[in-house]
Amino acid sequence: MLRLILAILLRRLIVVIPMLLVVSVMIFVILRLLPVDPIAMIISPTALPHEVEATRAFHGLDKPIPVQYLIWIGNVFSGDFGNAISFRVSVLNLVGETLPATIELALFALFFAVIIGFGAGLYMFHVRGTVRETVTDVFSIAMLSFPDFLWALILILLVGVQWAILPFTGRYGPEFIAPDITGFIFLDAIITADGPLLWSALGHIILPALALALAFAPLIMRVLKSSLTEVMTEDYITLARLRGISEWRILLRHALKNGVLPTLTLVGVQFGFLFGGTLLVEIIFAYPGLGNLMVRAIRNTDLPVIQMAALTYCVVVLASNTVVDVLYVVLNPKLRKE
Amino acid sequence: MNALAWRIRRLPAPLRSGRVLIGGGIVLAVTVIAIFAPWLAPNDPQEQDLFGNIMPPAWDPLGDPKYPFGTDNLGRCILSQLIYGARVAMVVAVVASTGAMVIGVTLAHIAGYFGGWIDGLITRLVDLWMSFPPVVLSLILMLGLGVGVSNVILAIILVDWTRFCRVVRSDVLVVRQRDYISAAQLLGFGHFRTLRREVLPSVMPLIITLMALEMGIAVVVEAILSFVGLSVEADVSAWGVMVADARQYMYQSVWGLILPIAAITVTVMGFNLLGDGLRRTLDPRLRQERHAQA
Amino acid sequence: MSLVEARDITLSARIGDMSVEVLRNVSFTLEAGETLGLVGESGAGKSMIGRLFSQLLPPGFAVSAGELIFDGENLITMSQTKRRRLLGKRIAFVPQEPMTALNPVLSIGSQFNEHLKRLGVRGGRARRDLAIKILSEVHLPEPELLLGKYPHQLSGGMCQRALIALAFAGDPVLVVADEPTTALDVMTQARIMALIAEMQQLHGTAMILITHDLRLAAHVCDKILVMYAGDVVERSGARDLLADPRHPYTRSLKRANPTISGPRMRLPTLPDQMPGLVEFSNLSGCRFSPRCPVNADACRAGVPAMLEIGPGHDVLCVPACASGERDISEVEAPPAPGGNGTDAPLVELKNVSRRFVTRGKWFANATTVDAVNDVSFAIGQGEFIGIVGESGSGKTTVARMIAGLDQPTEGQILVRGKDARLQTAEAKAERLETLQMIFQDPQSALNPRRMVESLLTQAMEADHRNHDAEERGGRAVDLLREIGLPGDSRRRYPSQLSGGQRQRVNIGRAICIAPKVLVADEIVSGLDVSVQAQILNLLLRLREELDISLLLISHDLSVVRYICSRVFVMHKGCVVESGPTEQVFADPQHAYTRTLLSAVPPDDADSPWPPLFSESEADVVRAF
Repeated sequence: MLRLILAILLRRLIVVIPMLLVVSVMIFVILRLLPVDPIAMIISPTALPHEVEATRAFHGLDKPIPVQYLIWIGNVFSGDFGNAISFRVSVLNLVGETLPATIELALFALFFAVIIGFGAGLYMFHVRGTVRETVTDVFSIAMLSFPDFLWALILILLVGVQWAILPFTGRYGPEFIAPDITGFIFLDAIITADGPLLWSALGHIILPALALALAFAPLIMRVLKSSLTEVMTEDYITLARLRGISEWRILLRHALKNGVLPTLTLVGVQFGFLFGGTLLVEIIFAYPGLGNLMVRAIRNTDLPVIQMAALTYCVVVLASNTVVDVLYVVLNPKLRKE
Repeated sequence: MNALAWRIRRLPAPLRSGRVLIGGGIVLAVTVIAIFAPWLAPNDPQEQDLFGNIMPPAWDPLGDPKYPFGTDNLGRCILSQLIYGARVAMVVAVVASTGAMVIGVTLAHIAGYFGGWIDGLITRLVDLWMSFPPVVLSLILMLGLGVGVSNVILAIILVDWTRFCRVVRSDVLVVRQRDYISAAQLLGFGHFRTLRREVLPSVMPLIITLMALEMGIAVVVEAILSFVGLSVEADVSAWGVMVADARQYMYQSVWGLILPIAAITVTVMGFNLLGDGLRRTLDPRLRQERHAQA
Repeated sequence: MSLVEARDITLSARIGDMSVEVLRNVSFTLEAGETLGLVGESGAGKSMIGRLFSQLLPPGFAVSAGELIFDGENLITMSQTKRRRLLGKRIAFVPQEPMTALNPVLSIGSQFNEHLKRLGVRGGRARRDLAIKILSEVHLPEPELLLGKYPHQLSGGMCQRALIALAFAGDPVLVVADEPTTALDVMTQARIMALIAEMQQLHGTAMILITHDLRLAAHVCDKILVMYAGDVVERSGARDLLADPRHPYTRSLKRANPTISGPRMRLPTLPDQMPGLVEFSNLSGCRFSPRCPVNADACRAGVPAMLEIGPGHDVLCVPACASGERDISEVEAPPAPGGNGTDAPLVELKNVSRRFVTRGKWFANATTVDAVNDVSFAIGQGEFIGIVGESGSGKTTVARMIAGLDQPTEGQILVRGKDARLQTAEAKAERLETLQMIFQDPQSALNPRRMVESLLTQAMEADHRNHDAEERGGRAVDLLREIGLPGDSRRRYPSQLSGGQRQRVNIGRAICIAPKVLVADEIVSGLDVSVQAQILNLLLRLREELDISLLLISHDLSVVRYICSRVFVMHKGCVVESGPTEQVFADPQHAYTRTLLSAVPPDDADSPWPPLFSESEADVVRAF
């Protein structure tokens, strides 16, 4: 099994690396088509033409686009991701500081979405064939119509402002100083045994994660319900009944294991949507993650940061796809060939 | 009463579905509002009433009947902005999803029908595209293209053609395996005729359903882009812009936030209900199931 | 006291606003250790009787009268919990589709473990040992290794053996087997039937065997119920029934199935097919009367009473028929179409081979399969040729290569003397005019979005033809008459036709442009016997009227014997025997042909079947 997983990882790697190269070219080319001049943002309006040229040359922006790309990608391979134009720090540092926050947010969101999605999906499956089926079905369509950023605003309005039970700005309370060991606040709080910080971070992540989860969960519940309904008509379910196996056991042991496979495929394909959703949700909750970094960079037309942030999004999505691939093989014996 | 029941039974299957009727009704209403916006809006949506900013709706004691839904922080009529916002939403929804559909469906047919290296190439391209979170890709595209409704449409087409391509391709692959495709070739059909007469009609229900869902997605994407200020020009009313503006003053009034949110979700729900209803009535597999139950 | 006693069971179903009697007054008894066969075509209600034991009925179905006594207790009124306790322990089931009846994500071992745990076997070790014991009872090799495998790693025959092992694990007193061999190959079918009989002996189990195959039932069962549209039309001892059927339906059923020995009789064709559930309520009197060759006034007036005509032999028919006075006349069939020699063959295969190479993905090695190996033959004008073999023998690949859907890797196919690989427009057009293919499954071969008229004349829409609607309409009318469909079916969709009607449309489309050769791949295998007879007779009539040739691919030897003058026996890609059909079947030379023939249940009720297989058990299993 372990060898199999390693083989899958190796196979993915062979596919993913050329893909990332192409993605990087795409981002690079699109961003170089920009009508605005990134230099204009950082240089004083009174600068002389030769000063402008010097700054341009310093950032390598005077060379043709293919050359710029080759320099950049060459640097990337040697571990140098370049410096941000407006923040004047290493791009790698900026991304390294913000990515853990975004990953934490996405994981919590996924966790909530799976719990809500499975719970509601099983309920929808349970009430099939009754009037409640139509009610739950239409309700799930209605939920599907709320995109994550609107959920974010609604949650802030209701839970944050109206009832004021949960905080809705930042990653933890202003009274704390993050220990910054791994960058993952929950891990750091556990390592330093800082209970209050952990509690505060937990309170802060609930609303943004819930906003993402509420937009994602309806997809899970609908797919789970329909795949379970389909599985229940299979011959092996009928035969299990004919062997006198109880309905509960059939659902949990026979149907769910098969029904979860399409759901897993869905989560794999749609993870990009959830992960992309963090971008807006982070802005709305002033959550210091990759999305906030990217939008700030967009406001400042800071090309090195934008392209690195965009590339990071792709890397995370490809990595999560790989995880789903592995899980799929682990759960589906048909794909388990030695 | 019996005559009515008889008439309902004679309607084509999709029109007998409650979801299609309700969803279609919502979409129709939003379309009518968008088309007749200049006659329906009580005020110029961009006209600022600097003495009457952040006014509550007319039913509030402090409201002004001139502004049925109140005004925003610049004193603009919320109702009029909503009505004009429907224009942007509907134009983007219809044009962008049609464009994405044409590109996606064409590539899906080529990939699924011919198979081989061309299928591998297109599948890889789709994988590549899907590795971008759609929000990130559309932001970068809008950054490169610059603001404006036509650029929003272009960006959505460039991002969302993969949705059609991926799903329709797998359906084309299934249809391709059916013997009637081989039969058509043996009867002397060329590739183009086979695709047009045999394959396309079989995947049409799926395409129609995806179209309805994609229109809903396009409305959301447009709202997202205008929310971050990368969609329409400053003097155009859009629901996403209204939401972004209303965030600034949500502590004073929630109406400016709730109303455009409601506009977006109701419209999207219309498309989703329509799509789901069409799927249920047009998908031959689901239809057979219900026949079997009946 | 009998083990099972069914007393006047009526099963009703609600369809829309009306109530339909799906089963009417079904009565039978089954003694311990005995085998009862339920025989009938699809829609007869035989599977519903099987379902009565579990009471897992489709929504809207319920028993409205009668009782089903199992071991002294009424299964119908029994509480669900109590009934469930019997299932798997005292009453076990063998399913129809072995490949889909095991859970694909659970290993064989864990499915056995679950079942044995429910049967009350304590201790993981004990369960494992017992599983190994019962798996070797059904002659599965290396049962220890098998426990760690998943269903997709097993062949259909192996899955069915595992399922039989599961069914007999609880030492049940009754096994209900619903078409247990229909999804399997001829050879596997005989072996599985032999295995079931062996297990039955070993455990002293009674069995209810549900099957569409009258001959198979006659050899395996002690007594048989023949079902038609929810009625038991005949009830008799098994041998007696095959030797002397009395009900007109049983007689047609027996004769509609061509024989593999003895004189070739013309197949009688009953009109239409078994009515669907919705039509049941329109049928007053005997439900068979609209199709009955006798059809007296008395039959339409009311349902005839069950007549006892001999010891343990009852018939649901009017006395005149039941006594055998009004028999349907039997006519000897003309010899199968032989054509006018092969001097100028229409299609010729010269040393044709087809090798499939699966390219090794990533680290795996490439594998090659020789699907077809050095096959040569020719089809002359007006000649009907058959290719028989099991699945995987390469017979379908031959058909696809002749039709041009696949290319040989070696050798040559000539159509009217020209190489079939020629790609000029002219050569292609000539090939299409000469050769057409009828596909196996009309459900898949007919575009569900075209109407019958459009389907029949689809060829006229092709690139190089392009006829207008009027011409097509005219041709459609001719074709409908040719294939024996009513004129008003022009404007119907395939989903509105019955299986037999669809296959007629499928044939009609192929003859639209009057080709010279038809390639037919298993075109009757999905059909009920009475419909199969209609289609076979239609093919013979087309031969007379249009002088076409036919290459029939089939796993059914009796079908090939009925219409083909020459036969090729294929095994693992090679033609192992060929010659005039009568000669090959009467005096087979190759061992494989002999085994193939012995796997078919004989027409004579007294010759023993299933045969004892001479190979050692290991060989038997390797063959799957």
